[in-house]
Amino acid sequence: MLSPERLALPDYEYLAQRHVLTYMEDAVCQLLENKEDISQYGIARFFTEYFNSVCQGTHILFREFSFIQATPHNRASFLRAFWRCFRTVGKNGDLLTMKEYHCLLQLLCPDFPLELTQKAARIVLMDDAMDCLMSFSDFLFAFQIQFYYSEFLDSVAAIYQDLLSGKNPNTVIVPTSSSGQHRQRPALGEASMLEGVEAALFYQRLESLCDRHKYSCPPPAFVKEVLSNVQRLTFYGFLVALSKHHGINQALGALPDKGDLMHDPAMDEELERLVVRSRLHRTSRQHRAEEPGAFGFQRRDKPEALERVSSASAATPYPYRWEPRE
Amino acid sequence: MLPGKYRAVSGRAASNVNCGLHLVIQTSSLPDRNKVEFRLSKETPSFSGRLLQHDLERNYSSRQGEHSSLVSSSMPAFPILHRSTEEKILCSDRLTLERQKLTVCPIIDGEEHLRLLNFQHNFITRIQNISNLQRLIFLDLYDNQIEEISGLSTLRSLRVLLLGKNRIKKISNLENLKSLDVLDLHGNQITRIENVNHLSDLRVLNLARNLLSHVDSLSGLDSLTELNLRHNHITFVRDVDALPSLQRLFLSFNNICSFDSVCCLAQCSSLSDISFDGNPIAQEPWYKHTVLQNMAQLRQLDTKRVTEEERRVASVVAKKEEEKRRESQKQSLLKEKKQLAIRNIARQWEQLQQRRGSEATGPERPGSPSAAQDVSQAQGSGPAFPEEPGSPDAPPGPALADTHLVEVDGDTLSLYGAGALECLDRSWSTQTAGTVTTVCFTFIEFDDIVQVLPKLRMKFPNSLHLKFKETKLVMLQQFNALAQLRRIDQLTVDPQGNPVVSFTLWKYYVLFRLSHFSMQKINGTEVTQNDMIMAERLFGILAHVASSELPQYRLISILGDARKKQFRYLLDAKGKRPGLVSEDASDSRRLLTENTNRATLNYSTRDFFNERLEEIREKKQLCRAYTEGLVQEAAGIHTKAEALQRLWPQMFIELVRDAVVDIRSKDAFMKLSLQHIAQQK
Repeated sequence: MLSPERLALPDYEYLAQRHVLTYMEDAVCQLLENKEDISQYGIARFFTEYFNSVCQGTHILFREFSFIQATPHNRASFLRAFWRCFRTVGKNGDLLTMKEYHCLLQLLCPDFPLELTQKAARIVLMDDAMDCLMSFSDFLFAFQIQFYYSEFLDSVAAIYQDLLSGKNPNTVIVPTSSSGQHRQRPALGEASMLEGVEAALFYQRLESLCDRHKYSCPPPAFVKEVLSNVQRLTFYGFLVALSKHHGINQALGALPDKGDLMHDPAMDEELERLVVRSRLHRTSRQHRAEEPGAFGFQRRDKPEALERVSSASAATPYPYRWEPRE
Repeated sequence: MLPGKYRAVSGRAASNVNCGLHLVIQTSSLPDRNKVEFRLSKETPSFSGRLLQHDLERNYSSRQGEHSSLVSSSMPAFPILHRSTEEKILCSDRLTLERQKLTVCPIIDGEEHLRLLNFQHNFITRIQNISNLQRLIFLDLYDNQIEEISGLSTLRSLRVLLLGKNRIKKISNLENLKSLDVLDLHGNQITRIENVNHLSDLRVLNLARNLLSHVDSLSGLDSLTELNLRHNHITFVRDVDALPSLQRLFLSFNNICSFDSVCCLAQCSSLSDISFDGNPIAQEPWYKHTVLQNMAQLRQLDTKRVTEEERRVASVVAKKEEEKRRESQKQSLLKEKKQLAIRNIARQWEQLQQRRGSEATGPERPGSPSAAQDVSQAQGSGPAFPEEPGSPDAPPGPALADTHLVEVDGDTLSLYGAGALECLDRSWSTQTAGTVTTVCFTFIEFDDIVQVLPKLRMKFPNSLHLKFKETKLVMLQQFNALAQLRRIDQLTVDPQGNPVVSFTLWKYYVLFRLSHFSMQKINGTEVTQNDMIMAERLFGILAHVASSELPQYRLISILGDARKKQFRYLLDAKGKRPGLVSEDASDSRRLLTENTNRATLNYSTRDFFNERLEEIREKKQLCRAYTEGLVQEAAGIHTKAEALQRLWPQMFIELVRDAVVDIRSKDAFMKLSLQHIAQQK
């Protein structure tokens, strides 16, 4: 805890590295927004809950995209939340389009940008036939790489383009804004002869990049591993390799290994309970519908009577209608 | 056959067979032929026509034998007719040659003052050899084999021409018969009425039993009083109103199918007697009434007198028909207008989508276009009241004229176009609102619909079925908004204009999110138990996470928002319908108890979301400033603490050194201290 590196950093830098300020600001902001509700049960409790949720990774649920993107921890939490919520979709074996995955993402984050999903899809589909169906695991891992390392990937893309067009390796690469990054197809002549770039050269450039981007880049050792296996590789080939690399996944720590992707015993138990409950609920409704309620529709104050009302109507058509009261 | 006036005449003519007709037949063809002369004796007064013929034959053949230089029968031979002078004096102006087995018209010699000529029941094929009878008034060629009207051009005095039961195909060559009074052409093969327009004295025209298919070209027959067209193939009648004197018109046994084909008869004020029996229209149930209604001047219909009672009944029925027709016309007009409006709205929608599509590169959508120019009609008390479409196509400029359409059709409320949502602000009669069970949204953005869902819930409490078409449903999340309704039994989302339907999981998501409605059907297919379970399986964890893993304050804030919105709306409406508040309160309670775990899944439209973010931005800045202040303070304190940490050893040593230095000489120290104390006092 009291490590010398920690004490060596000046205050702001330390805080920035740990993103403490982000969370503090957000906490205070949330407090301000909901002060009427929170004042009821105390500010201390609020802060407790807030930071607990940050620890558990549930703080990003239904938040705006700018917040989710703000810190690596947020991103990882989001990935984990997405995995937990929609693992069942993957388990079901459905193959979905990019748009549908985007919809699912939007269920958790209403203003999630489409470009990110598109980029992730490109990785899976190798930039080909964007309407193809993708499996859950493929998409998830590609999405992880794209989302978690998005700035890094933008820089890598720039480097790749430079290498393709044969620019001077000593020029400084300034990553352009992520949204403006257009994928330009390499000049046909070059690409047809030699696909991609030399792995070794590529790695050199990436190394210098990693040194600069200390915080949000994959561990250089793994990058080296990926690049040492092949002679030449394309951009998307590189990304696919990254996404499938176990080490990087573990280093991120958000998602389990590919083999374990569909396993989550705790959640499965919970799910079974839910399903059973809903099944019981439904049959009990139908059951109740068969016996006409003693009070019919008149008593609306009791919840059970209400349920009977709705259940009766579920199975049999309304004998008479709601008349709006004058 | 013949008109009554002349029947007697012809009857008399017929009976003249016995008045001593002597037929002398001379055959003559070309001048250099031998004349064979026959003379019949006067002593055979009571011969019959047939006997005569027989005698003639006998005589002819016997005579033939005598004169070997008889011309061969290859040459056409016209018999020449002579009458004895006594005959001529007796019936000087009439000559009857019926049933004489004549195949040609004989040459009638020396009878220039003949007025009546009867050739009935012969086999004459051509009218010939009568051009010299220029005083002829009555010519009867009934029942012959005449194929063409000809040879009459000199008979300028002819008044009665009877050509019934022949083989005439065409009315022609009557140009000079300007005094014609009766023209009988029944039983022929005439297909058209023509060449009769100059017969301005014609009073009776009989064209029964011909092949007429229509009636026209009747102009010029100014004296025509009776027109007999029975037993033809007539399908329509025209120009009859150009006949100023027509009193009797017989159209029995034709092919008239509708009153429109004889509509000109209504203008024919002189008609008093008409017959339609045997036509298809006579089978219609309203035949008599219609005829009587349209032809008030009639006195006889189908040879039966028209009574006052019948006329009255006819007028009443006709009025009812008229009303019905007008009603249906109105309906079809309304329908057309509706279709036009819908097409208009569709076009506007497409244009809007195209514009939005081209401008959608940036994250913000353009603000909704301006000026709605809807022309609203006065609300009718009846069920259907479509709105007039506003001005047509929008120019490419910024202003876009909205058109919309609201229609209530039995139990369906249909809304077309964004402007139609305003109709929910109007007051609806409880009866109308109560019967509506289906609500159809077309060409309206879903985000706009979301805004009015609470109103919909209040105004149309019995709506069970929602239909969406061309409403830009693109996200699963949008279905969350439907949870705030009271009840949905059926949901239909048309693939056209709703991309969300192309997703594999959309139905399951709907079932999951709206499970508390226990929907029966989605897009027409029944919802099974398995579907519900699958939905639960797919998204159950989402619900669980959304409810149990959210920190408490988030739960409250999210739910609180929804509840606050509902209550705010209810408070607004409280003034109007106080009774509903408690109802909806219990509803919201029910909502909470049934599926709290889903209630956090809300949908707010993109604009709403951005608005909220904007609001928060200020707060964020404030928070940032505050936190920075805190950080600065903390950093300052920290720096000071660190500085203290660094400097403290030195300071401590100095402190100790100073103290030691002071106490080095005890006496001096004691003196100094005492001085200090004294000074202090």
